[in-house]
Amino acid sequence: MFRNSPRFLTAFSLAFLLLVTACSPAKTDSTWEQFQTESPAAVVDGSAAKVLSGGQFNQFFPPDGDGYARVYTQEKEGFAEAKLKQNGEELAMLSVSDTAANPAAAEKYRRGSMTIAGFPAAEIGSTATGVLVGDRIQVKVLSRSDGFTAEDRQTWLQKFDLMGLESLATQ
Amino acid sequence: MSKPIYELVDNLPTRNITVYALRSLDFILPGEWDNLVGFENTIRTVTRETDEALIKAIGQRAIQLFNDKSQGYQRALWLYQTIDSAGSALGTAALAGKIGEKVSFVPFLNRLTPKPEKAQTLDLCLKLVTEVVAFCQINGIPGDSIGDFIKALADYGGESLVRMAALVSFDGLVPLGPNFIRQTQSTLNKLTPKDLEGNPAFKQIKSLIPGKNTDKQLGFIEASFNSTQEWMGNFVSSKGLSPQKITHNFQKFVDIADDKLDYFGAFLDMTTNYYEHTGVQTLTRRLIERAVAEI
Repeated sequence: MFRNSPRFLTAFSLAFLLLVTACSPAKTDSTWEQFQTESPAAVVDGSAAKVLSGGQFNQFFPPDGDGYARVYTQEKEGFAEAKLKQNGEELAMLSVSDTAANPAAAEKYRRGSMTIAGFPAAEIGSTATGVLVGDRIQVKVLSRSDGFTAEDRQTWLQKFDLMGLESLATQ
Repeated sequence: MSKPIYELVDNLPTRNITVYALRSLDFILPGEWDNLVGFENTIRTVTRETDEALIKAIGQRAIQLFNDKSQGYQRALWLYQTIDSAGSALGTAALAGKIGEKVSFVPFLNRLTPKPEKAQTLDLCLKLVTEVVAFCQINGIPGDSIGDFIKALADYGGESLVRMAALVSFDGLVPLGPNFIRQTQSTLNKLTPKDLEGNPAFKQIKSLIPGKNTDKQLGFIEASFNSTQEWMGNFVSSKGLSPQKITHNFQKFVDIADDKLDYFGAFLDMTTNYYEHTGVQTLTRRLIERAVAEI
């Protein structure tokens, strides 16, 4: 069994060397360290209104059809998200979140004058457009493909059942 | 408490055996995996945003979401890390078992360790169950929802799909051969709750496997395997996969002598942590997708 051991040892030595060289830590941005220190134990403030469950949002998403597929990806406390796909390509993310879990998120809608389907709306960065429904529920469409424009985002926001979500928010 | 998420992502290696092993699968899934590392880099890539203030805000929310244990992300990470460290221990045992078959001074090793094939089939099943449970933890689906997992599996891409390809290749085809699905099925049929309790990997992740006792948990493991075996079989046949093709492609990255290929599975087990590596990438992606939508 020792006849070929040098080659076997070489392989393991190489493996060891690679593992060692891979262990040098990368430089981490100090901003993240600060956020880590300030991070609360729970993301949902216990004093806030009871946060809606993500499962309650699913029925208000735009339906499948016309060559578009809606694939649900996450369903968490106060949050639900789905991918919007066409011919297997990911075009956008569709999301609904309850700002009771993150009240600061609602502020941007109260500051601006933009509206979509009568609800306060905002462009967030260069890839997202959102509306605030019932002064509580945030609906967002986020581009994941170059061809999916701000106009497309507005169109898809209006395909959500925004009135249904408003009833849920004000129940 | 886990290490901070940004630290885990910033420290993901770019050159080690795990990365080479995953890259060697590019012949099956061309361009599917690009080893996305670095927290800020991941935020930029996933969201396609360039605004500095917005990137910081997304990172802050992602850090908060990860740190809240009730959100499930830390449990998923723990599962991915734990099943990989269990694999490393198995790697040592399997290699010792092989030597034990040839060399007289360690025959007792065969009595101390399970037969490698049986241990390997269990390892495959437990990794599969880890994927099901971690998927549910990350995506917020009830932990026993195999049906939701199977539906999502059809939509797997990027590092998640490569993790499954590695599972089929490195924990199925390579150590068990082309009949690994039938072999695993046969092992599972004979497996008793007592066998399962004697498995080190199971002992470690038992608390997170759905089922109120080992018997029920064995049922969940069987159900997970039965539900995914069709996907695995289709994956192997549609890609024309064989143990030889996998080892041949890996040899482009690491020099493993042809006459030692018998040890290849054990070598991978000992030197790679592809579940943890790609698991960190998957959960970071989901955290960022949620963070950018919530802020």
